[in-house]
Amino acid sequence: MNIQFKKGVLELCVLVLLNKKDHYGYELVQKISEKFAISEGSVYPLLRRLTKEGYFTTYLKESIEGPSRKYYHLTPEGKVYLEKLYQEWKDFSIGVNQLIKEGVEND
Amino acid sequence: MTRQQFLEELREVLSMLPNKEREEIMADFEEHFENGLEAGKREDEICEALGKPQQIGKELAASYHLERAETTVSPGNIFRAVWAIIGLGFFNLVIVLGPFIAVLGIIFAGWVTGLAFTVSPVLLIFNYIISPDAFLLFEFFFSLILSGVGIFLSIAMYFVTRFIINGFIKYLSYNMRLVKGGFKNA
Repeated sequence: MNIQFKKGVLELCVLVLLNKKDHYGYELVQKISEKFAISEGSVYPLLRRLTKEGYFTTYLKESIEGPSRKYYHLTPEGKVYLEKLYQEWKDFSIGVNQLIKEGVEND
Repeated sequence: MTRQQFLEELREVLSMLPNKEREEIMADFEEHFENGLEAGKREDEICEALGKPQQIGKELAASYHLERAETTVSPGNIFRAVWAIIGLGFFNLVIVLGPFIAVLGIIFAGWVTGLAFTVSPVLLIFNYIISPDAFLLFEFFFSLILSGVGIFLSIAMYFVTRFIINGFIKYLSYNMRLVKGGFKNA
């Protein structure tokens, strides 16, 4: 898949996952890479950027197994941003699906 | 690659960043390794999945410099941001360096013209000192008009410069979002 394209989608995936519940970094990375191939390291720059933009807050929580983990929490601003990206994604995917359908039917 | 090697290479790329910023990033990756090992993965598997530390580090550094340029607009910050983003890959070189040179050219030309017009009466006075016979009233008044135009041009350039630079920073951040790599097939 196209790189630029996936980049935007990765952002949406992180936002959607955090909308459900708070996650720590490793967990987010695993959940996304289960679905499609990413360089896992690229999720961290994204998390930092969105945190600095005020879309996430972070807190440390001890884990039972080992060291404490940094959890990400979606802020109200993050929710607004998610809504915007989700809407864009819907419009986009409807458009592409329509074109694909037309293309396939014409064949 | 081992965890040690990965973290060392990442630290190396991030050496230009402030300590606090760098240590936060290092802690994130330490945590990633801890969690991965706990989940039963080997160090080399985790490294492989993360991608190249150089690329991740460059991306983090570019992101940091861009954010600095966005909050504090200064020539130094802008140059560092441009430089860091160019470092991300060849594609960025083309789409960032070209517009950057164009932007600098426009700003430079505008200021030089504005300032030259503004000081034109002074130049005429110099001309008069060097060769007093050549003094003409027409040239004198013309230079006064030029000076007035120059002052307005300089004031306009002040706002144009701010406008263009803000626009350019937006363009940079748009590129950061869109272009930077990090995917397996990048």
